[in-house]
Amino acid sequence: MSTPILVPQQESAVSEEADELSDADRPWVTVVWNDPVNLMSYVTHVFMKVFGYSKDKATKLMLDVHYKGRAVVSSGPRERMEGDTATLHGYGLWATVQRDA
Amino acid sequence: MKARRKGELLRVDLQATEAALLSVLFDDLGTLLDVGNTADTADPVLQRLFPDGYTDDDAASAEYRELVAADLASERSGRLQACRAEVPEGGGRMDLDAEAADRWLRVINDLRLALGVRLGVTEEAELDESEQSVNVYHWLSAVQETLVTHVMD
Repeated sequence: MSTPILVPQQESAVSEEADELSDADRPWVTVVWNDPVNLMSYVTHVFMKVFGYSKDKATKLMLDVHYKGRAVVSSGPRERMEGDTATLHGYGLWATVQRDA
Repeated sequence: MKARRKGELLRVDLQATEAALLSVLFDDLGTLLDVGNTADTADPVLQRLFPDGYTDDDAASAEYRELVAADLASERSGRLQACRAEVPEGGGRMDLDAEAADRWLRVINDLRLALGVRLGVTEEAELDESEQSVNVYHWLSAVQETLVTHVMD
């Protein structure tokens, strides 16, 4: 009768919480992909305007998109990444949401 | 098309032919967006203007589309109509504040995306420079570059 039936449940609860925390640590990201039409200067402008990034940071991200084919431009909760993606779609950029690698 | 900073404003001067061309292009894109709003269509231009939200998750992409597509479409049409209304008939001057300049950049970019899809623009493709629409595409690119340069200054 002394089998601690509550302990495993507590452990399980704790480990679920830990999983949630590690999910939060590994957030979602917004990825912008290279495309043949958008001008480099325009893409830089969009990153500055949408995210408030400095010209230097926006330019670096734009160059990553152009030369590496893609760049992570923001990270956070999934809903916010979908919001960022929608905003970028409104600017004509090719963006997608994914789990952080 | 000439553009320069005038204090906080971006001053844009359009020739008559440029104003007429923009009006035609805006009307064309408006028609296309209206079709997209009223019918399911596989038009690659609309696919490009309203892309999937996820690369490898069709269900999540469908949910994303459900969530944002209507707003994206109406906002895109709204920007287009606002720019269309600002085109000086017969050519002339526009003084754009920061918000209007950003809106113009987005609408010109939508035109470039639409035309780019129709022309099959890729990183490698050689465009037929004798095609009128290719010249229009290059002109829109030059307009976009001029506007964005002044906006970022």
